[in-house]
Formats: sequence, structure tokens, C-alpha cells
Amino acid sequence: MNLAKEIGILLQKEIKIEWRQKHAIGGILLYVISTIFVVYSAIKSVDPNVWNALFWIVILFASVNALVKSFIQENSSRQLYYYTLANPTAIILAKIIYNSGLLLLLSLLSYGAFILFAGNPVKDIGQFFAAIFLGSLGFSITFTFIAAISAKANNSATLMAILSFPLVIPIILTLLKLSANALRLMQDTAIWKDILTLLAIDLLMIAMAFILFPFLWRD
Amino acid sequence: MRKYWWKYLGVALIVYSFTVGLLVPLKPGIYSYDPGSMNTGQTYTLSVTGYNTFYTKAKDPIRVWLKYDSIHNIVATKVKILDDRKLEASFQIPKYLPTNDRVGVMSLIVDDDHDGFAVMPSTIFIKQDSLDKNTQLGSVSWTQSKIQGIHGKDQFNFPFRVQLSETIRNLYYHVPFWFAMFIIFIAGISQSIQYLRTGNQEYDYKSMSFTMVGTIFGIIGLFTGMIWAKDTWGTYWSWQEVKMNMTAIALLIYLSYFILRQSFDDDERRAKISAVYSIFAFGAMIALLYVVPRMVSSLHPGSGGNPALGADDLDNSMRMVFYPAIIGWTLFGVWMTSLVYRMQVVRDKLYDL
Amino acid sequence: MKKSFSVLLSLLFLMQNNLIAQSDNQDFMRSIGKMYVVYGVIVVIFIVLVIFLIYLDRRLTKLENQIN
Repeated sequence: MNLAKEIGILLQKEIKIEWRQKHAIGGILLYVISTIFVVYSAIKSVDPNVWNALFWIVILFASVNALVKSFIQENSSRQLYYYTLANPTAIILAKIIYNSGLLLLLSLLSYGAFILFAGNPVKDIGQFFAAIFLGSLGFSITFTFIAAISAKANNSATLMAILSFPLVIPIILTLLKLSANALRLMQDTAIWKDILTLLAIDLLMIAMAFILFPFLWRD
Repeated sequence: MRKYWWKYLGVALIVYSFTVGLLVPLKPGIYSYDPGSMNTGQTYTLSVTGYNTFYTKAKDPIRVWLKYDSIHNIVATKVKILDDRKLEASFQIPKYLPTNDRVGVMSLIVDDDHDGFAVMPSTIFIKQDSLDKNTQLGSVSWTQSKIQGIHGKDQFNFPFRVQLSETIRNLYYHVPFWFAMFIIFIAGISQSIQYLRTGNQEYDYKSMSFTMVGTIFGIIGLFTGMIWAKDTWGTYWSWQEVKMNMTAIALLIYLSYFILRQSFDDDERRAKISAVYSIFAFGAMIALLYVVPRMVSSLHPGSGGNPALGADDLDNSMRMVFYPAIIGWTLFGVWMTSLVYRMQVVRDKLYDL
Repeated sequence: MKKSFSVLLSLLFLMQNNLIAQSDNQDFMRSIGKMYVVYGVIVVIFIVLVIFLIYLDRRLTKLENQIN
């Protein structure tokens, strides 16, 4: 069985599992909306600076919540079964692709919720979508890998946050700069450099995940 | 004895950095002056306070200049020595500046045969009220004296910077910890890679010990830096300062590494997963090193407009203490690592019995 | 042991007071030359290393108890 086909089958499996647990993604969306609601009823004024920071904080926490279950929804005997069947590279790749899609969807829905409740200060929509896309890619790589690690340790949920937040700081810093530019809070003519940086970080993280995941999986 | 030579070497280098770093005096310099701004066409008495100077011991008369550029300067008409650290220089400021600008920025130069010469670059402002249309006139009055016969002193001194003064010595007690920390963290990562390649428990203990000592050095670097920052920049913690925040993030990553280690019961599992995490975290750190400096300007040397130590300040006299301090603390760190590691091995043996 | 320690401590305080009295500047840490910043930095290095030693000591004590 070649890699692409294997990934395809694994992706189908992920989507099926997600479909069976529709409440999970609904819960995350509820979380996003209630956060926006709480913050805006507390501070009332819609400052683009606050909008920018709040948007990425909401996305960050929603992503952690969404991805923490990546490797614990299957119990260990079923994992052993997968291990005999599938190639670890295919597994991590399928998980990352699936999670990126999930986070992209989540970010877009959050963006919609933000427009609805807090207005839309985004001036350069293309740049903002680029930020959302690269951001969900980076988040999904990091969080998927850390989810795999914390699934091996026993107290998963808290460990996930402790382990992953310091690691996403470079991504989130670049994202904040990129979207601040899209909101015209700052003007940077060389913004493509930041896009390239983000892309390079994503590539680096995905390479590390590729090399290291087989060691985790074999355990 | 043969086994311990590197430990002794490390300690010797640290002792050397402490003794030489604390005992060698700073170069004589200008600590302050008054007034800071003057007008053209008037006479001023400039009182100068020196640092580490011995004006009374000078045999030749002390000379003081206000220097505009390489050819334009004026010499003090009279220099009165009050004591070792204080003198008064009288200046007859010409009617016009050598340029057509409203304000000229002068450097202050004091030269005596006992201390050598001291320069305070670009500090004194001279204002001219009316511009000189015939530029030659202003120019001529500033070229009457030449700066020559300067007394260069080839003593072993550390450079003097007003904002830093004696704290320039902190270069030997703050910066080497960063260098040592990085070397030790990289050693730890190489041990993690070795573990994943071989599966030998020893490497896990080594990597853990290196990481622990690296974290300790990071903490030392952070706290010493905070004290120095409070003095030089005015705050203990600066959110504008990227190197500081970067280190804080790196320390967070390594502290979470230790939390991860706590959450396993099985040795092999702990070894494998913490090795994987530390390598992945190192990748994120590289990303951090690359990203963060692009975000905001740094107060640290190497970026514009900071009142701290610049690359040009690291002269040969400082290198002679700075580099041994780095090597010394790195060796000391390896010694600390070996203690933690050996204890871990003993513990392992004990529990196996 | 305890007595000598307290004597040493009071001696240190005495020295400190003398030094403060000598410096005419109000802000002690920024008094001319600012040597006390260097002093503070060295004390920090020492304190952290001592904490490391205490940690090692406690781990070793545990091991000794294990042997007995």
C-alpha cells in the first residue's frame, strides 16, 4: 500500500470519528462565541489592537481544546492494531492534515463570529487569510505532536498546555505581526518576509515531527 | 589527578576571571562636566570631574579641548586643577561655529601625562545665535590649535563608559553564563539524540543532567541580567528586550521538560518521550532565535541606540578575561553535570538491588 | 558554629553600614562607579550555586537513608 493511499484511508477514518462526535466541535464553537461575548460585554469598546490579540488568543485556546484528544480517542489496544497496519509517517501526516483542516474551519468560523459580534477591522483580507491558513497549519503541527507526547504521559490535558504553549510562541508572535499588518495597525513593506518565516517554521516543525514521531509510536 | 585536570582548569579560569576582572582598574575617564551647553562669543569655565584620574600628579600642564571634527577644535585658555578628580577649564568660544548649523556638538578631550587622554564623545552643545554668512571666518577661528602630543598609555585597563562605569565588569559575570548555557544545552540535545539511536539509559541520565545544569545557568544569567538591567536601563524586566524574553521562553520550555519527566513511572518510557520532547523543543527554540529578533528592537548591544555595551567596547583587555570566563564556566557546568549524573546512576543501582 | 555565623553576619552588616555612610550619593546602588551592581551580580551567582549544592545535598541524604 503506498503512502498517499494510506493517508487517504486514515483521513477518512478521522472524519468518520469526528462526525460521530459532532458535539465536540460544537462545544469548541460555543467556547469561542462565549469568550467573545464575555470579553466584549466587559470592555465594550472595539479597539483593533484588542481585536487582534483577542482573536489569536481565542484561536490558540480553541486549538488546544480541539486537538488535545487527537491521540487519546483511540484506546491503547486499538492503537496497537493501527501500529501493525499503518506506517507511522502516514499516521502523523494524516493527523496533521486532518487537524489543519479542522483548525482552518474553526478559525474561519471564529472569524465569522468575531465579525458578527465585534465588527470587522480587517483591511487586507488576503493577508489575513494567509495568516489564518499558516497559523492553523503551524498550530496543528505543534499541537498534534505534543498531543502524541502527552497521550503517552498520563495526565494529558494539563500537560498538553504546559508543553505546547512555550513551543507555539514563535508562531504566535509572527502571526500577531502578520495580522496586525492586515489590520493596518502597522505598515511593513517587507511583510512577505514574515510569511516566509512562518512557512519556514512550519516546515521545520513538520520535519521534526516526521523524524521523531516513529520513536513515539513504537513505544 | 589526571582525571580531574579539566575540573581544576575550569576552577582556575573562574578564579582568574574573578581576580583579574575585579582588580584591574578602569581607564581614567571623564565622569561629568558642567555646563552642558554654551553660546558662541562668550567665555565659559567648564568644570570637569574625572574618574580614576590623578590630575595633581600630572607633571606637564593638563590640556583640554573641545573638538568639533578632525580639523576644527579649540583649546582651553586656562586649566585650573582643584584636586585629583576635578579641574576647571576656561574656554573662549569663538563668535561663529565652523558650520552654518544653529547647533554644533563638541567632544570633550582631556589630556595629561599621568593618566593619558580621555574623550567624552559628542556631549557639549554650542549654539550660535547669528549665522556667519562668510563661512571662512568661523572656520579659521576653530583651526588655531592642533590636537597633538596626546599621551597614550599602554596600561592594562578596562574601558570606561559613563553609563556603565564599574558595571562593565559584569561582562565577565553575566554574559559567560549564556554562552555556557548554550554549549551545555547543545550537549544535552546530543545526548538525547544518542539515546534515541542506542536506547541506552545512560544517555538519558546524561541528557537530563546537562539540561538541569543548563537551566541553572539560565536562571543565573536571568537574575544577574535583571540586576544589571535595573541599573543600566532602569527596570528589572523590559518587555521591549527580546533577548530577555527569549531566554524566559527557553527556560519555560526546559521547565516543562522537567514537569514532563515527573509524569512517568516507567524509566524507559520517560527516557524516550522526554528525549523526543527535548529535541522537538530545541527545534522550536531555533525558530524562536530566528523569529524574535525581527519583532522589536533590542536594548542589548548590536542594535541601535542603546546605552549599553557595544561590540567596539569589547577590547583586547576585556577579551583576555571574557573568553577564559566562558571556558571556565562551561567546564564548571560539566563538572556540575557529572555530579548530578553520577548521583542518578548510583540511585539507579540502589533501586535495582 | 551558630555563634560564629552570627558574628560574621553582624560584621557584614557593619561593613555595609560603613559603606553606605561613606557614599555621598542617595541611591546606594548607583553611587559613583556603581561597584555595588557588580557585587550584587556576584552574590546572585553564589546564591544560585549554593541552592544547587543544597539540592545535591538533599538528594545524597535520601540515597544514604536508602543504604542504611
